[in-house]
Amino acid sequence: MKHFLIYTIKISVVILLTAIALDGLYTYVFLQSKNRGKIETVFNSKAQKYDVVILGSSRANNHFVSKMFEEKGLKTFNYGMSGGHLFEASLLLKLMIERKYTIKNVILEADLNLSNDHQAEGIAALFLPYIHNSETIKNHFQSQENFNELYYIPFYRYIKYDGKIGFRETFFTLIHKKTNALDNQGYYPLKKHKNGNMKNNIVNLNPLKHNKYYEEIKTICKANNINFIPVMTPMCENVTGMNYFDKVKKAYPEIYNYENVVVENKYFSSCGHMTDSGARLFTAIILKDFF
Amino acid sequence: MFFNSIAFAIFLPIVFFLYWFVFNKTKNTQNALLIIASYYFYSCWDWRFLFLLVFSTFLDYYTGIQIEKGESEKSRKFWFWLSILVNLGFLGVFKYYNFFAASFSDLLNAAGLKSSPLLLNVILPVGISFYTFHGLSYVIDIYYKRIKAEYNFVDYSLFVSYFPLLVAGPIERATHLLPQVKIKREFNFEKAKEGIYQIIWGLVKKVVIADTCATYANAIFDHYTSMNSFSLMLGAVYFAFQIYGDFSGYSDIALGTSKLFGLDLLRNFNYPYFSRDIAEFWRRWHISLSSWFRDYLYIPLGGSKGGLWMKIRNTFIIFVVSGFWHGANWTYIAWGFINAVYFLPLLLRNSNRNNMDAIHLSWNFNSVKTIFSILSTFLITCVAWIFFRAKTITDAVLYIKGIFTNKDFGFQYLDNERYNYELLLLIGLFVLAEWNSRTKIEPLSGKKSMLKLTLAIMAIMAFGTFSDYKEFIYFQF
Repeated sequence: MKHFLIYTIKISVVILLTAIALDGLYTYVFLQSKNRGKIETVFNSKAQKYDVVILGSSRANNHFVSKMFEEKGLKTFNYGMSGGHLFEASLLLKLMIERKYTIKNVILEADLNLSNDHQAEGIAALFLPYIHNSETIKNHFQSQENFNELYYIPFYRYIKYDGKIGFRETFFTLIHKKTNALDNQGYYPLKKHKNGNMKNNIVNLNPLKHNKYYEEIKTICKANNINFIPVMTPMCENVTGMNYFDKVKKAYPEIYNYENVVVENKYFSSCGHMTDSGARLFTAIILKDFF
Repeated sequence: MFFNSIAFAIFLPIVFFLYWFVFNKTKNTQNALLIIASYYFYSCWDWRFLFLLVFSTFLDYYTGIQIEKGESEKSRKFWFWLSILVNLGFLGVFKYYNFFAASFSDLLNAAGLKSSPLLLNVILPVGISFYTFHGLSYVIDIYYKRIKAEYNFVDYSLFVSYFPLLVAGPIERATHLLPQVKIKREFNFEKAKEGIYQIIWGLVKKVVIADTCATYANAIFDHYTSMNSFSLMLGAVYFAFQIYGDFSGYSDIALGTSKLFGLDLLRNFNYPYFSRDIAEFWRRWHISLSSWFRDYLYIPLGGSKGGLWMKIRNTFIIFVVSGFWHGANWTYIAWGFINAVYFLPLLLRNSNRNNMDAIHLSWNFNSVKTIFSILSTFLITCVAWIFFRAKTITDAVLYIKGIFTNKDFGFQYLDNERYNYELLLLIGLFVLAEWNSRTKIEPLSGKKSMLKLTLAIMAIMAFGTFSDYKEFIYFQF
């Protein structure tokens, strides 16, 4: 038995050392990431100057045409992230400030995402390779339930989110395989979808009265003299529970309601996402109203 | 509680510690602990099914004794058939009733008589097919006076509900496991080390091979109508490795875990994809089930004795029943039937026991022939697996039709944002590792075992699929 216990201790040490080595290797690779995604790019960047930075979920990513801002002479990047919540938008802004970005305006898509203040695991995972290299990321995740496992167990975060930051992603990062996340200054145009879901039911959705991360973004903007422009973006005609947007307006009067500026189905790829032509109509209105 | 879960990683060391340090006084204390642990393990799925397990255990224990004690043949027969009917009755109600009711209703509808089946809303108790077969073999062996009935209820309960084999086998025999539980186990370092090797290799098979292959196989099978010929072919290969990695990985972990407690379980897999014909494949795949059907169905039916038609009949019965054992669906029956068709030429030519020797390759024509045999056996196995994996027989037929009619053999980007060819290298490495160790139980033991163990651990961590978690396929059977 003594031999076996020594043997299991040896195996445990092998497991621990392997985990530490792989953790170091993966993290090193992610620290070199250049052209994979928005989070990696911001984390590994130096000070930038922007007239407009766009934040939010896919409803920001697919709705604000960065090029139209640029045509007006406004240096713009769309940092909207498909599937992301305000948790990630807030952290991304914090990282930009930490890297001494000079930003004049932040447009935040704040509508459906106000209904929760959880992390969107699939997107939040992309910050995790840097959790030991950034106090900002560490502090942001500290309130999360599984923080201790993610922070203290070597390689645990890469195993837990292997689909996002596992071997495949690490390998593509290592060979600098490009994605389209950074094309069109971050804007991702959608096409009309034949089978796009043109119905949506948001009856049971309610905005939180005090969304922690929305408030955080607002505070960061104020503290850094950034003009904060929170907007609700359009939904298609067939939405059940459209009074959600009125509830948002009631809870957050400062948010501009643009939900109904584009309504026709022909401008939508799916109910919550406009096509490129819809996005262009919408961006033109935003540009006219704010710039 | 799955073998590849955190819960099991906590459960196993606790039971191991208690077993060897606290409950190690006598075999009774050892067995009592293992039963408590097994019942806890089983109740983690659904505690209500624990009653079914205990009832099934008690039934076979009691009827076994009554059969042995029976003074008249009539009385022996009564207890024997009571046990058989109740065991099969449970299986019938929980696993097959809905299938028969729906099929009967379909038949009536096809004949123009409108009917809607009365279906039961029941969940299939995990492992029912396995522990029922344990009990059946025990009772049958007593009835035919091959073994003596077990009078110690604790020992018998452990034979039926021992946690490493409880939910997905291997299907143990009383002649093999009962004698082991009847003596106090002493700790054996070498055996425990073998157990660790098997557990680690089982995890490699499960999380690196099976679960990764599943990601691709699912993306292909679930959208087979939009897949090109190359993707469809790869889908079948990926599924072949998924089911092999999944089930043999489970068996390896079960056997390895059991060795930690000083108990040897029956070997369930012996590198089946290196078989040179389908008969050899069935001697290497799910060995405990194949031998169960051989001993308790094929031989009682007459086996290979008797005339040609009897041999053919028995072959089809054993394969179709074996297919049906896997699940209540026509696809499993078709899978069994196809394997019987594969087996038939070997039976007719009396060559089904040709490849009993170990495989040796050298630089000569015979080796080329051997490699060709292995590849062609794997190929026909993959075709049969399409029926096993498809939702309906029509889907399986259309899937195979797609391979031949699409004629596009290019790389394809799948719905899960992966290219269809991505796993070929990983599978190639896995096959190489298994090929080089085909004379051993697993590839990690032997020379440089610590290095191989480290590489295996690294592979589990780096290449394993964890976030897209998949439970063991055979749990559903």
